[in-house]
Amino acid sequence: MNAQAHMPAAGAGNEVLLEIRNLDKHFDGLKAVSDVSMDLRAGIVTTLVGPNGAGKTTLFNLITGHLTRSGGSVRWLGRDIGGMKPYRVARLGIARTFQDLRLFGDMTVEENVLTVMEPGALPFSLSGPSTAEKRARVAEVLERTGLSAKARTRAVDLAYAERKFLSLARIMATRSRLWLLDEPASGLDPNSYELFLRLLREEVASGVTVCIIEHNLDIVVSISDRIAFLDRGRLLADGDPQTVLDDPDLAAIYFGDRT
Amino acid sequence: MAAYLLNLGVLISIYSILAITLNFIMGYAGIYSLAHAVFFGVGAYAGALAAMHLSASIFVTVPVAMACAAVLSLALALPALRVRGEYFVAASLGLQVLAVTIFAEWKSVTGGIGGLIGIPPVDLFGQAVYRPASFFPLSLAVLAIVIVVTRLLVRSSFGRNLTAIRDSESAAASFGKNVPLIKTISVVISAALAAVAGTLYAGYLSFINVESFMLDTSVLVMAMVIIGGTGTSWGPILGAAILLLLPGLLSYLSFLPPTEIGAIQQTLYGLGMAILMIFRPGGLVGRGKARETKSAAKVAVGQKPPAVEAKAEGAR
Repeated sequence: MNAQAHMPAAGAGNEVLLEIRNLDKHFDGLKAVSDVSMDLRAGIVTTLVGPNGAGKTTLFNLITGHLTRSGGSVRWLGRDIGGMKPYRVARLGIARTFQDLRLFGDMTVEENVLTVMEPGALPFSLSGPSTAEKRARVAEVLERTGLSAKARTRAVDLAYAERKFLSLARIMATRSRLWLLDEPASGLDPNSYELFLRLLREEVASGVTVCIIEHNLDIVVSISDRIAFLDRGRLLADGDPQTVLDDPDLAAIYFGDRT
Repeated sequence: MAAYLLNLGVLISIYSILAITLNFIMGYAGIYSLAHAVFFGVGAYAGALAAMHLSASIFVTVPVAMACAAVLSLALALPALRVRGEYFVAASLGLQVLAVTIFAEWKSVTGGIGGLIGIPPVDLFGQAVYRPASFFPLSLAVLAIVIVVTRLLVRSSFGRNLTAIRDSESAAASFGKNVPLIKTISVVISAALAAVAGTLYAGYLSFINVESFMLDTSVLVMAMVIIGGTGTSWGPILGAAILLLLPGLLSYLSFLPPTEIGAIQQTLYGLGMAILMIFRPGGLVGRGKARETKSAAKVAVGQKPPAVEAKAEGAR
């Protein structure tokens, strides 16, 4: 595996937002993530690809604090955030979606988006944006994700694609700097996925940095500035999309004819 | 007859406050507590002692009672909310058992089994309020305040935080919500407001003892919430009214042997609860079963196939 060797990739000169070094996660002897080192650079889309069970979601969980690392470090703008609780990581400006979405099912679409702008624990917020500002932001985000007509529908009553867009709308509303997206486009029909790609490009253009887990190679090719290839917890390649995708060894692993 | 109805009205108001405050944590935060009678009791004892030794003014007794219950609720909330839901139920049951022992044995403070007697009536702006005719409006007014306060909280960002945590704790945390802190605050608010009911109760009866604050009371209040409708605004009040009116209504049915009324009542409660949970699990005011299953089916149908397709597509 020599794909890692000296590849100039997009964003190579950009600031490193998240620096992962020698990250390990073991579950009772199973190495879910093993000695992974990689950088997430500002302003680009880094795509994590690899077969199921490669450790992609585990890597997200280690970054966001939903899992505790077994070894190694995760640094956000130079500061070690390994071992930090998820709510603290979120407040740094790292937002994520979940593969199973985890919407706030009994709340309306509008409330789902509103509540992510209100992380404070107190009943009454003394600082932060006013209610009017928050409502305006909710309306804007719902408009862009095509959910305006469903604003007052409960999240559990939404159709599948609408649920995916609500998941996206929630993190758009957070104004986070780094987005970790876990298979956001899986199962979308062609129209929805055009909208998804457009939204993603707009957000990246406005300065959001994205790390995305995606299986659909058409989407991978069209959005990635950089691809990291994981297999069985190890990072096998990290570089510009064409080089990684053209590597015959990686293709063999990805398509399952491992020898 | 009028006095009897007014008396019932007062009790329904007081138990409605308990049911509303329990519903606040059960319905919105998903925290199931079997210790609600403890905070009712702490409010009653603290309010009574404040009335006997400090001042009977409602503006003294209620704050004292609320503060005591709030502090005590931390003893339950801080250790217990770090664990999963089932364990919280067990921890609250433990606190309930422990509290009953303390209420019964700490004679110098609670009067032991004999309880506290001669509690001065509630004093409102220098007027002693003790007749049912004047106490009923007072209890209704306090109930109204509790309804307004809890509604405001539920509709605020705090209420959204509670619901978000109930629906998905991990997602709530990944949007910056400090889950243990928010849950703790909700338990403290619930306990402090339950103590208001305790203070009213002590001032109204002028006598309290441990028997009013035992596990049966916690279970009764939980039944009021469930029967009326967990997570609804009016369900807990309806539940309280039904469960307190039922015994009286049964005694009007002359064909029932008076000595068996207690047993018949318990049988009806049990049957009623079971039937309700089968046909209307959301309670009388809550959403019907049909709609729940419909949306659940929709989710199941909508979600699974595309996810499978996507995998197939990716591995193509």
